[in-house]
Amino acid sequence: MNAIEFRKVTKKFGGFTANRDLSFTVKKGSIHGLIGENGAGKSTAMKVLFGIHPADSGEILIEDRVVRITNPVHAMRMGIGMVHQHFMLAGPETVLDNIILGHEPGRVFVGRARAEAELRAIAKTYGLDFDRWDRPVSELSVGEQQRVEILKLLYQKSKVLILDEPTAVLTPQEVKDLFGNLVRLKEEGKTIILISHKLKEVLGYCDEITVIRRGETVGSRKASETDDSELARMMVGRDVSFTYQGERKVFANMSDAKPVVRVSRLSITSTTEPLREVSFELKPGEILGVAGVQGNGQSTLLRALSHPSLHAKNWSGEYLLNGRDQSGSDPIVLRNAGVGLVPEDRLSEGLLLNQDMTENFLLGQHEDPRYSKGGFLLRTKARAVTESKIKEFDIRPPYPTVWTGRMSGGNQQKLVIARALDPGPSVLYVAHPTRGVDVGAIEKIHDAIVQERNRGKAILLFSSELDELMDLCDRMLVFYNGGIRAEFARPDFDPWAIGRVMGGGDR
Amino acid sequence: MKNSEKLRIPQSALSFLRSVAGAAGGLAIGLMICTIAGESPGKVLTVLVNSSFGSGYDFGMTLFYTSYFILTGLAVAIPFKSGLFNIGGEGQLTIGALAAAWAGVAGAGIESHALAILFATLAAFIAGGIWGAIPGYLKARRGSHEVITTIMMNFIAAGVTSYFTLYALKDPDSSQAETIPLSTVFQLKPFAVFNGAPMGGLIIALAVMTCVLHLVLRNSVWGYRLKATGENETAASTFGIAAPASWLSSMFVAGGIAGLTGLVEVLGNSHRFKIGFSSDYGFVGIAVALVARGNILGILPSAFLFGVLQKGAGSLDLETDKVTRDLTYIIQGLIILGVASDGIWDWFSSIWRKRNA
Repeated sequence: MNAIEFRKVTKKFGGFTANRDLSFTVKKGSIHGLIGENGAGKSTAMKVLFGIHPADSGEILIEDRVVRITNPVHAMRMGIGMVHQHFMLAGPETVLDNIILGHEPGRVFVGRARAEAELRAIAKTYGLDFDRWDRPVSELSVGEQQRVEILKLLYQKSKVLILDEPTAVLTPQEVKDLFGNLVRLKEEGKTIILISHKLKEVLGYCDEITVIRRGETVGSRKASETDDSELARMMVGRDVSFTYQGERKVFANMSDAKPVVRVSRLSITSTTEPLREVSFELKPGEILGVAGVQGNGQSTLLRALSHPSLHAKNWSGEYLLNGRDQSGSDPIVLRNAGVGLVPEDRLSEGLLLNQDMTENFLLGQHEDPRYSKGGFLLRTKARAVTESKIKEFDIRPPYPTVWTGRMSGGNQQKLVIARALDPGPSVLYVAHPTRGVDVGAIEKIHDAIVQERNRGKAILLFSSELDELMDLCDRMLVFYNGGIRAEFARPDFDPWAIGRVMGGGDR
Repeated sequence: MKNSEKLRIPQSALSFLRSVAGAAGGLAIGLMICTIAGESPGKVLTVLVNSSFGSGYDFGMTLFYTSYFILTGLAVAIPFKSGLFNIGGEGQLTIGALAAAWAGVAGAGIESHALAILFATLAAFIAGGIWGAIPGYLKARRGSHEVITTIMMNFIAAGVTSYFTLYALKDPDSSQAETIPLSTVFQLKPFAVFNGAPMGGLIIALAVMTCVLHLVLRNSVWGYRLKATGENETAASTFGIAAPASWLSSMFVAGGIAGLTGLVEVLGNSHRFKIGFSSDYGFVGIAVALVARGNILGILPSAFLFGVLQKGAGSLDLETDKVTRDLTYIIQGLIILGVASDGIWDWFSSIWRKRNA
């Protein structure tokens, strides 16, 4: 039996067609992957199903019966539940209250005891254990909050669970736990729709995968009968390589080259993620990777290197840029000294979402003599340069007046990278350049990074994707507990050894 | 899609048109309320128009109130760029006006008119600026919420000005709570066309200042810093724009501008500081900035609208039987609602699109 079927569903927003004749079926009791690039229409399709945006034409069938879903409450009553990318939880309220909100068992009183008993039974059935139901949700980790969201759906007796990019915010361990839970839910008869653009995840855990491109169904494949290159080709519409295929320039006398960045015995104490006695050198023409499980000091290192003045109180150690001391510098000084920065989280640290591309391009360059004179901005010039960067990096939509908040993640990231590269920096600090970015854009971003290396730039690359680091880096530092635990050099990148060191073991 | 492309109007113009339509809608509903109260809306409108534009004196008074609202509106709109909500305009303007009165006493020996005006202007700007900068500093240093601190600063300002008016700067020849009167070199001369209303070249100076501020905030590096801080404090800081500097500077400038009320009231009108001269002009500034949607140039028409309503308020009391000045406050409220109800426009456009789909 099919849990869900889409028949030629079309959804338009004004003149823009988000879904065009979308058709696919989801079998009952399966995990179904829905993949596509950013903006391909995956989320719209699920919002149509969930009743947030009713379809303009076409039919939706639930358990082989045509239904018309007009709002989310209606969808929930039909047994459809959705975990949104950004959780819908009330932080100060308890786990229990968050779960039963809107579905309290009692008529006059809430009936918490009854609800808790019922929830314990549900949690036991599906193996989603929770020790404390009375803890405020804000105290939970992201992975636990996600579990609360899933429990909420189970409590509402949802039969179909839609998860929108569930792994984007999770640590690798949490990802593993999540998929363990999803497999268990499937075994208990639930149907799961997984929206993702991570090919590995859908290939590893889904039974069937539907690919959407530009709002249309490209096709569906059984996970066992396809592979990542076929899926990527379906998503992007051309062949995509997962590894860097271009030239890798060989620099002679690397060992004699003078380091651009020299950090010695750098410690940042009294923060939640301290840094302990970190020393390394970064030379022109190399990409130095920073690997490690999230929370082992990498974030602090990036913040310390890109904004030393913020850490002046807790600072000890030496930080030289081209031989000059930079401990205590602010980002503008570093920028003038030749540092380009791609911050960890482009939304919170990298962009002004309610401003257009030109204004965002100016961020951090607003005091650069190329773009300002006598305390006033040279906007016409900034706009012309932004336009040329839009062409060079193929940023879409290709207008400098578009608000960055309305752009897809991949295009936002291209803009952030274009900005970092604009002054022709001598050193680049790049963090998670492809996080939440789709395969087509990943290829372009990787190309841009290696080309900068080939031009003799020194690049420090922070990433949680080991594959990305192994593909791009010349050397790799593995962080554990605030310090560098091991260093690996190309081509001896053994993922198992690196993984062991990341976990605190020995190579 | 084709339709909307044909009708493409610049965003700022569209926003202005929406504000005007919202204000008109609010006014219309207000006049309907008159009908319920038993007064003909035509009469109320006539009284309002006559009272504001009827004679040279009337128009001069309208501009006099307008000049208050330009200043207090700017005092709200500028910090708003950096993400702060300044409710302390009232305190900043009283301190600025007191400083202007003090300048008249301290600078009694000054003989040049220009020098006297410059001295008083500086005193009013700096005093108001410091009063505004204190909450800015507390926000930057301690994270104290500016809404709380600016409100508290209003009360402190009231106390401070009372002290100076009743003791340090008291006019010994007066039974009122007011400071020593200014000598004529400190007095701004009104235009003769206004027939006795206390309004002269100052309104032109304020209009020019607003235009200059608009250009500075839009095109300067400083304006960019304020905007970046207001938009996304973390991103701004990551790229070298320190939020504390933005907060401190925007609050100083805002407080200073509110303080220039000293020119309107003390130098231009009563030639001394009187306790309670401001009937909540600082708070009306919040409404002025709201109706202008935080746009600096928009402050000018918005302040003028509130000037008209302020001037008309008194006449409604005298010239109508059934409605009082309270009606203008109702109208003010409805205008703010009309301008602020953005959602209505999205609703209209969705209906429009459906009909054309």
